[in-house]
Amino acid sequence: MDLVTLVVFGSWLAPALGSAFGREVFASAENADKDYDSAFEYDYESLRIGGLVFAVVLFVLGIVLIVTKKCSCSSDKPRPKTPDEETAVPIAQ
Amino acid sequence: MGYGRSDSYRVATTQDKDKKESPKKKGGKDLDDLKKEVPITEHKMSVEEVCRKYATDIVQGLTNAKAAEYLIRDGPNALTPPPTTPEWVKFCRQLFGGFSILLWIGALLCFLAYAIQAATEDEPAGDNLYLGIVLSAVVIITGCFSYFQEAKSSKIMESFKNMVPQQALVIREGEKMQINAEQVVAGDLVEVKGGDRIPADLRIVSSHGCKVDNSSLTGESEPQTRSPDGTHDNPLETRNIAFFSTNCVEGTARGIAVCTGDRTVMGRIATLTSGLETGKTPIAKEIEHFIQIITGVAVFLGVSFFILSIVLGYSWLEAVIFLIGIIVANVPEGLLATVTVCLTLTAKRMARKNCLVKNLEAVETLGSTSTICSDKTGTLTQNRMTVAHMWFDNTIHEADTTEDQSGSSFDKSSATWVSLARIAALCNRAVFKAAQDTLPILKRDVAGDASESALLKCIELSCGSVKAMREKNKKVAEIPFNSTNKYQLSIHETEEGNENSYLLVMKGAPERILDRSSHIMVQGKEQPMDEEMKEAFQNAYQELGGLGERVLGFCHVFLPEDKYPKGFAFDTDEVNFETDNLCFVGLMSMIDPPRAAVPDAVGKCRSAGIKVIMVTGDHPITAKAIAKGVGIISEGNETVEDIAARLNIPVSQVNPRDAKACVIHGTDLKDLSQDQMDDILRNHTEIVFARTSPQQKLIIVEGCQRLGAIVAVTGDGVNDSPALKKADIGVAMGISGSDVSKQAADMILLDDNFASIVTGVEEGRLIFDNLKKSIAYTLTSNIPEITPFLFFILVNIPLPLGTITILCIDLGTDMVPAISLAYEAAESDIMKRQPRNPLRDKLVNERLISIAYGQIGMIQALGGFFAYFVVLAENGFRPYDLVGIRLNWDDRSNNDLEDSYGQQWTYEQRKIVEFTCHTAFFVSIVVVQWADVIICKTRRNSVFQQGMRNKILIFGLFEETALAALLSYCPGMDVALRMYPLKPSWWFCAFPYSFLIFVYDEIRKLILRRNPGGWVERETYY
Repeated sequence: MDLVTLVVFGSWLAPALGSAFGREVFASAENADKDYDSAFEYDYESLRIGGLVFAVVLFVLGIVLIVTKKCSCSSDKPRPKTPDEETAVPIAQ
Repeated sequence: MGYGRSDSYRVATTQDKDKKESPKKKGGKDLDDLKKEVPITEHKMSVEEVCRKYATDIVQGLTNAKAAEYLIRDGPNALTPPPTTPEWVKFCRQLFGGFSILLWIGALLCFLAYAIQAATEDEPAGDNLYLGIVLSAVVIITGCFSYFQEAKSSKIMESFKNMVPQQALVIREGEKMQINAEQVVAGDLVEVKGGDRIPADLRIVSSHGCKVDNSSLTGESEPQTRSPDGTHDNPLETRNIAFFSTNCVEGTARGIAVCTGDRTVMGRIATLTSGLETGKTPIAKEIEHFIQIITGVAVFLGVSFFILSIVLGYSWLEAVIFLIGIIVANVPEGLLATVTVCLTLTAKRMARKNCLVKNLEAVETLGSTSTICSDKTGTLTQNRMTVAHMWFDNTIHEADTTEDQSGSSFDKSSATWVSLARIAALCNRAVFKAAQDTLPILKRDVAGDASESALLKCIELSCGSVKAMREKNKKVAEIPFNSTNKYQLSIHETEEGNENSYLLVMKGAPERILDRSSHIMVQGKEQPMDEEMKEAFQNAYQELGGLGERVLGFCHVFLPEDKYPKGFAFDTDEVNFETDNLCFVGLMSMIDPPRAAVPDAVGKCRSAGIKVIMVTGDHPITAKAIAKGVGIISEGNETVEDIAARLNIPVSQVNPRDAKACVIHGTDLKDLSQDQMDDILRNHTEIVFARTSPQQKLIIVEGCQRLGAIVAVTGDGVNDSPALKKADIGVAMGISGSDVSKQAADMILLDDNFASIVTGVEEGRLIFDNLKKSIAYTLTSNIPEITPFLFFILVNIPLPLGTITILCIDLGTDMVPAISLAYEAAESDIMKRQPRNPLRDKLVNERLISIAYGQIGMIQALGGFFAYFVVLAENGFRPYDLVGIRLNWDDRSNNDLEDSYGQQWTYEQRKIVEFTCHTAFFVSIVVVQWADVIICKTRRNSVFQQGMRNKILIFGLFEETALAALLSYCPGMDVALRMYPLKPSWWFCAFPYSFLIFVYDEIRKLILRRNPGGWVERETYY
C-alpha cells in the first residue's frame, strides 16, 4: 500500500516539479528587467508547488518512520522476566 | 477430613448490619436485608418437618401438580440477571458523560451566539455556527468511538457466559426424571452425584460419601463432606445443606430443595452485588476537577472581558458575543478525543498482556491503587491440593509445588520413600480420567478426593505410572475412610517373589496411625517405635500442621504368610485381620500452593507502595502460611500471637503496635467497632483476614475506602463479587473465575495470573503521567488561540487568528503529537514510588495551568503575534498604524483604506491579507508547538536524558508540519478554509520563540532537578 501511494505521488510530482522549475527561471528573468511600473507580482504558483512538495516529503518521511520497525517504540520495551524459583513454604528441618 | 487442623470450623455470617451505623447505601432496606444472616432454618429441622413444610414426600417427591404450582409461585430456579443497561443509555452516557458535557455547553453557546448575530446583523458571520457544528461533531464521533470500544470488551464478556443449560435429576411422584435445572422448585427431591452442579439449596436427606466443593462460596480449597445430620446452627457451616451452584465432587446425595433461584445463598450474594452502587473512577474524578479548572479560567476571562468591552463602549449584544467567544475559545476541542485515544491505546496494550479492561476509565485506576485486597483461593494459590512436604527417615523433605515442576526435588533414593510411595499409590481411590495420556500430569483431570488426587499426582510424577503399580498389587479388600475410624485401609496382593502374599496399607489422621503402629521405618529398616521417635513424630506433625498443611500419616504391614495364606478371605465388616502393630512409614502434607508468579508480584506491589491485604474465607492457619509464602506477611514480621508465643506471655499483654502483621478471624471481625477496624487497617501494614464471609469482605473494602485508599480487589469466587463490585477496581480471574465475579469486576485477568496486576499498575501509572503531559501540551496552544481575540477586542486590530484556523490546530495539527505522548516511556522507575495521593496529586493542577497558560502559552502567543505583524508590515501596515483600525478594516463599504505607505486597499484585498495573517499565525503556532511537544515529553528530566526514542512523536512532528504546509499551499484552500500560501520567510518568524520555549523549559527543569523541593519545584512541577 505504501508503495502504491509513493508511485501515485511520484507520477503526480514529476510534472509539478518540472513546471515549478520552469517558472522559477521565468520569474527571475522578469525580475532582471526591473520594470518598476508594472503591478506587484509574486510567484505564488511555484511557492504553492514547493510547499506541497515539502508537505508530501514530510508526510512520506513520517509514514516511513512509523512503518519501519513499528514495534520497537519505546513504551513497548520487553520486561525481563525472572522466574521465581523459590517455593512457597519455607522449609523446616 | 480435617486432619491437622486446630481451628474449629467457623464461618462468620452473623449480621453485620448493626455495625454500620449509617446505612449509606441507596436501596436501603433491601440491601441491608441481603447483608443479614442467611435465613435458612431447614438444617435444624428433622427431615420429616422439612417434608411437611414443603408438602413433599421423602420417597415419592412432589406431585407434578404441586411442582407446577410452586413453579408458578416462586418462578423459575435461576438467578435474575443483573439489570442490564439498555444500549442507548450506555451510548448516551458516552455522549454526555464527563468531558463531553464541556464541549456540548461550548456548542450550545456557539449556536446561541450565532442566533444573536443572526437576529441583529444583516449578514452574520458563519464562524459561530461552524464552530458549534464542529464541536457537536467532535463529541458525537468521540462518543461513538468509546462506545464501540467498550462494546467490544463486553462482547468478550458475553463469550464467558456458560450457555449450556443445567440439568437436574429430580424425583416426582416416585419417578426419577431429568429436568432443566430452571424447573426445580422448593420441595423437590433432588439427586446429585459426583461431577454435578447442585441445582438448588438442598437439605440433604441421605448421602453416600458425598463431598461438595464450596470454594466459590466460602473460599475453602478442600471439598466438604455432606451428610444428613445437622452439625451446626449456622447454615453455612452445617453439613446437611448443599448450596446452589457449588459442585458435588464425589459420592451421591439426595436432598430436598429448600430455596431456589434468587432466594438461594448464592442468589442473595448475586443480588447484593448487583444492588451495590459504585463510586466514580479516580480518572473520572480527575477529569471533573479538570473541567472545573478550565471552566473557572474560561468564565473568569470571559466575564472580565465582558466588563472591559462594556467599559470600552461596545454594545451589550457585542459584549455578549465576545463573552461567548472567549468562553468557547477556552474549550480544548481536541482534548476529549486525545484522552479517549490515550486510554484506548493503554487498554489495548493491557489486553495484549492479558488484562481485559471492561470500562475504559478503569485503565488508570490500578495506577492509583494504594491497597489491594486479594482473595486467596484461586487467585494467589493454584486452587489444587498438592503434596508440599513429606516426613520420613526422621527428616522433612520438601516436594516440588510449582505449576511447571521447575522447583527442587528431594532425595528419592531412600527405601522408606519407596514404601511411602507404594502406600500412597495403593491406599488411594483417586484415578486419572480416561484419554488424558498426552496431557502433562498436573493438568490431567482426576476423579476423586482432592487430597487423594494430590497424592496420586505426586506419586505419578516421582515414581511413574500408578496404574501399573496398582495392577501389580491387586486390591483384595478395602475399608474406606469414615469419620469414626479416621483412616483408610486396603489390602493388596504382593508382587511376585515376596515371601508374604498380602500387604496391608493404611493412611489417615497421623495420631491414629501412630496409635496403631508398633514399629517405624528408618532407611528402609523397621525398628521399634520408641519415645524418641514419637517425640520426633510429634515435632514434625506440629511443624507441618503449623504451615497450614493437611497432614496424613502412612503405615503398612506385610501380613505374615502363615496366618494369611494366599486366597485368604478378608472380611472388611468383621475385620478378620489385624489392624494394629503396623509399621509407621511417614507423613505427607498437602497444601494448595501459591502460584509461582505471586511472591514476585507481591514484592513489586510492595515496593510500589501498595499495601496487599489477604481476605479469604479459608482457615487462619492456612491463610497465614500462604500469606507468609507469598510475602503478604514478610519474613521477620510477627503477629501479636507470634510475639506472645515467643515471649511466652498472654496475648493480652502484647502491645498491638509492636506487631506489624496481623491475622484477623472473621468472627472477631464482626465484633469490632468501626474505629477498631480503622485502627487495624491503619496501624498494621500486613493484614490477613481469614474466615470472612462475602459481606465482611465488602466491609473490609469499605473500611479501606473510608481511610482514603483507592482499593483494588482481586477474586474469583461468588463470595468475592460484592467486594469486587464495591472496590474502585475489581479484578476477576478469566479462567477460574465465576460468572458472577466477572460480571462484578472492572478488569479481567485472562490468564489468571496475579502478576498481570503489576503490569496493570505500571500501565495505569504511566498513562496518568502521560495524560498530564498530553493535557499540558494541548492546553498550551489555548493561549495563542485566545489572545488574538482579546487583542482584537482591546486594541481594535484586525483579527489575527480566526475560528477555522483554531479548529485546524485543535483538531488537526495538535492531535497526533498529543496522542503520541501516550507512547512516552516513564521518566523514572514508576514502580518504585508511592501511589499518588488522590487528594493532593491531581491530573491537572494549578501548576500545570500556570506552566501551560502562564508561561509557555504566553511565549507562543508572542511568536504568533510576531508573525502576524511581520506579514502585515511586509504588506504595508506598520504595527503602530494597526491599532484602532478595526472598524474601518471590517467595513465592507470602505474600499480605499490607506496603509502606512499610502497604498489603498479594497475590502477584499484587505481580507486576503488578514487571512494570510491567520495562516501565518497558525503556522507559527505549529512551529512553537514543536518545541512544546518536546518539552512536554518530560516533567522533570531533560530531553537529553529522555532521548527521542518515541517514534510516534517524531511522526507527529512530521505530520503536523506536513499538514500545516498542506493547508497553506494546497490549491483551493483559499476558497475552502480561507488559508493562503505563505512566503517561506514567514515560516521562520516563530523559530526564535520555539527555541526560547525549549531553552526556558530546559532551564526550569534543570533548576527543578538541582533543587529538589525548592521554589521552582513547588510552583512549577505539575
